Amino acid sequence: MKKYNVVGKPLPRVDAYSKVTGQAKFTVDINLPGMLHGKILRSPHPHARILSIDTSAAEKLPGVRAIITGTDTRDMRYAFVDTPRYPADQYPLAQDKVRYIGDEVAAVAAVDLETAQAAIDLIRVEYEVLPAVFDPYEAMAADAPSVHESSYSGTSIWEEWGAKKTDASRADERVNNVSGRTVITYGDTDAAFAAAAYVREDRFETGSTAHCAMEPHAAVAHYDPSGQMHLWLSSMGIYYKRYVMSKVLKLPTSSVHIHKTYVGGAFGGKMDVYPYEICAAILAQRTGRPVKIELTRPEVFTTTRIRFPTYIDIKTGVAADGRILAQHIRTVVNNGAYRGTGPVVIFLFHGWTAPVYRVENMRYEGVSVWTNNPVGGPQRGHGAPQIRFAIDSQLDMIAEDLGLDPAEMMLKNVRHIGDVLPNGDVLKSCGLTDCITQAAAATDWTKKRGRPGSDRRARGTGTKRRGVGISTTTMISGAPYYPFASAGVVQLHDDGRATLLTGVVEMGQGAETTLAMVAAEELGLQLSDIRVVSGDTEQTPVDMGSFLSGGALVTGDAVRLAAADARRQLLQVASERLDAQVDELDLSNGRVCVRDRPDRCMSIAEVVHYSIKESGNPIIGRGYRKILSASDRYPSLAKGTGRWTDAYGFNAQVAEVEVDLETGQVQLIRATTYHDCGQPLNPQIVDGQVFGSVSTGQGQALTEQLVFNQGRIVNASFQDYRVPTALETPISDGAAVESFEPAGPFGAKEVGEGTLAQTLGAIANAVYDAAGVRIRSLPITPDKVLAALAEQAAQRA
Amino acid sequence: MKKLMLSLAVNGQVYDVAAFPHRTLLEVLRDDIGLTGTKRGCDDGDCGACTVLLDGLPVTSCLVLAVDAVEKTITTIEGLATAGQLHPMQQAFIEHGALQCGFCTPGLIVTAKQLLEEKPDSSDEEIRAGLAGNLCRCTGYVQILAAVAACRDGQLAGQTEAP
Repeated sequence: MKKYNVVGKPLPRVDAYSKVTGQAKFTVDINLPGMLHGKILRSPHPHARILSIDTSAAEKLPGVRAIITGTDTRDMRYAFVDTPRYPADQYPLAQDKVRYIGDEVAAVAAVDLETAQAAIDLIRVEYEVLPAVFDPYEAMAADAPSVHESSYSGTSIWEEWGAKKTDASRADERVNNVSGRTVITYGDTDAAFAAAAYVREDRFETGSTAHCAMEPHAAVAHYDPSGQMHLWLSSMGIYYKRYVMSKVLKLPTSSVHIHKTYVGGAFGGKMDVYPYEICAAILAQRTGRPVKIELTRPEVFTTTRIRFPTYIDIKTGVAADGRILAQHIRTVVNNGAYRGTGPVVIFLFHGWTAPVYRVENMRYEGVSVWTNNPVGGPQRGHGAPQIRFAIDSQLDMIAEDLGLDPAEMMLKNVRHIGDVLPNGDVLKSCGLTDCITQAAAATDWTKKRGRPGSDRRARGTGTKRRGVGISTTTMISGAPYYPFASAGVVQLHDDGRATLLTGVVEMGQGAETTLAMVAAEELGLQLSDIRVVSGDTEQTPVDMGSFLSGGALVTGDAVRLAAADARRQLLQVASERLDAQVDELDLSNGRVCVRDRPDRCMSIAEVVHYSIKESGNPIIGRGYRKILSASDRYPSLAKGTGRWTDAYGFNAQVAEVEVDLETGQVQLIRATTYHDCGQPLNPQIVDGQVFGSVSTGQGQALTEQLVFNQGRIVNASFQDYRVPTALETPISDGAAVESFEPAGPFGAKEVGEGTLAQTLGAIANAVYDAAGVRIRSLPITPDKVLAALAEQAAQRA
Repeated sequence: MKKLMLSLAVNGQVYDVAAFPHRTLLEVLRDDIGLTGTKRGCDDGDCGACTVLLDGLPVTSCLVLAVDAVEKTITTIEGLATAGQLHPMQQAFIEHGALQCGFCTPGLIVTAKQLLEEKPDSSDEEIRAGLAGNLCRCTGYVQILAAVAACRDGQLAGQTEAP
């Protein structure tokens, strides 16, 4: 690996001091003078027509300042997916119908929270309850109730950015509640299946899970009389939210100012613009006062976004040696009441397939289906946990059937550097082979893993059995979506230090720290020399946001380029003063020196002083970077054609579990993760990303599941929805494999999002290795394990 | 309903606050006194983000009425550093990267500090059990457990200055 001065060191986070002392300001901590408090009235029905809304009693309540209903948002249709094919399907407040329990019906601003809640209780809504549908297959039946029946006119976001207009009234999108459809084919699957030595078909199911960011979603809005909308939001990307808010509120984008706050975890759940945020803004306009809306924990669980529950059917044909010849994958996701990112996730299922194993003959079909359930959206991995669990569970089963070691079978199929994916993406770095071999070596894999076809339970006595399983995954390093690019500004000071301006939102991922390290490295400074100003649309430049895993590669490279621009100016000025050519100068440890002439040096402070006095140039560097170049064709969600990223991160994990044969309890003992994130910018932060991902994966594999009853989530609390606690912490080890991504700053690329996904398959495969039972649906709860053990006993008898 | 005048001793300073009797200690700390370092994660006593010390013992302040905290000493995250010097537990969290988003951090640090004060030689298992009431979604607890163990063992590298 290359040697760097700052990059690659486990330096303490720049935000740590303010966070350990309680000084860091999160969105929920924003309190403004004269601030009102808002509450949302939500639908108690999964599907109903709104006949009337009577707000008169609520309006008379002392302390109530404003009430809005659907009529106030009639021209505000919006959504994350807003394309000619999939026009936006949501309004801040319900128009004629409510489509799920929790759908927003009205919003109130009052002098305090109690008054706002009392006003909500006084609003009378008359509903005509409609038949509801909760299962995606039932929803696709011809006689199912229609969740959406209107067609939508107007211009979508993607048309504003150059997408071709298509006829949005096309009937096929509205038939039988289908909200999105993806079909991707390459090669000749029929011929390949016919030629396969072995073909297996299996179905897998994944439940719905919650993000569980510890900070509840919140918004503070203040509309000043000059026409500026000030917002403090729970977000993952301020420029995306600014754009949608400005579009919905019909304000120029530059009239919406999103102020910096720290965000208390997001994991995908704070990407979408939510109705409560728009309501806060409208209420601030109506009242002329700041308005704060903070969701309760049950509201966060039920009315933001959830992971898409998914059915996955996979047919795989392999050669006798375990090479995958063909795959036919069908996915059906329960989209919930609005599209959220349904059409995206069915595209992504394939997107997390092609970069891992080379499959030359593929037919992939994905369908997302509207139901009257809460809405699905991105959640750490966005589809990768579901599809990697399914693919690697089945690979494990095929290896068992063919008498192969699953790790060996993976190695026969994985991608390598130089591979070109079916959509044209090129793997300029790919450490998958190293990830698998190093994870296997570190865990004594060949010794611990049971022989294919052997009786796994015979390997121990008593009531507990241990086993190991392996799984792999991948993740993009940024993708083209509004605002498409990131920029950075590095301003030098006359004390020799620098300030980095970046539009990134610090939500825990460590972006402020790693970006400052990138700037310091380029400028020959220390991390402590860099001050970071982040996440403010008026003070920091455009940023693509932290929801496409492009933070390291795209924003990181923009910052590197900004620092390089400042460096170039600095050396130019120094070359005049030191009477030397620029290429004779070295910049390190805060000093510019003529090479091999330690007597001819200037500190950065002296160069900046000189520059300001001589020409007035304070030395401000600018840099920008977008994902892919303009000539690359952007991806089609429907067909999977077109490029969508410059680099992929990779992971392999070996999980070791203990299964209690009496209780069905599964305990994760150890998770050993080897990953390829290119050059780790800060290994301590990288470790933290991996440990956190593994923990969430552990929860989602074993305990976490939102439970629905007729569209109602019945376990919307941390008491009933069980995330891992400190008590369940496994041994979490592993390392980054040696890798260098040429497209990224100092060789860096994605880390931390994909890492969650392989934990699920690794655990499921380890459960099989421990107890000889195959659990095809997540989470792997004790009742499923006991049922499988009972079936196993019946078959033996 | 009438507001009550409450005198609350927080971090060595007495605050006189007029509050309704149903207000929780968490609400009064955050909304009336302005000490927002203590966080509201669930309002249900499940997540531990609102942990403060009441007469030296950890409580979830969302489940304590402010009136019940009168004539007791209250310690919040803002009261841990003295004279600009971080408490060793704060230092340990910084050194071990034991925080990411930082929202659960105040509750965890307050809980961990009290845990080691009560039993300075807590075993690794006792530390895990002692922190089990504080949820963290970012870290997977690995670096948190390492930080608390390092604090217990007196293995801290230095003293971080305010930036």
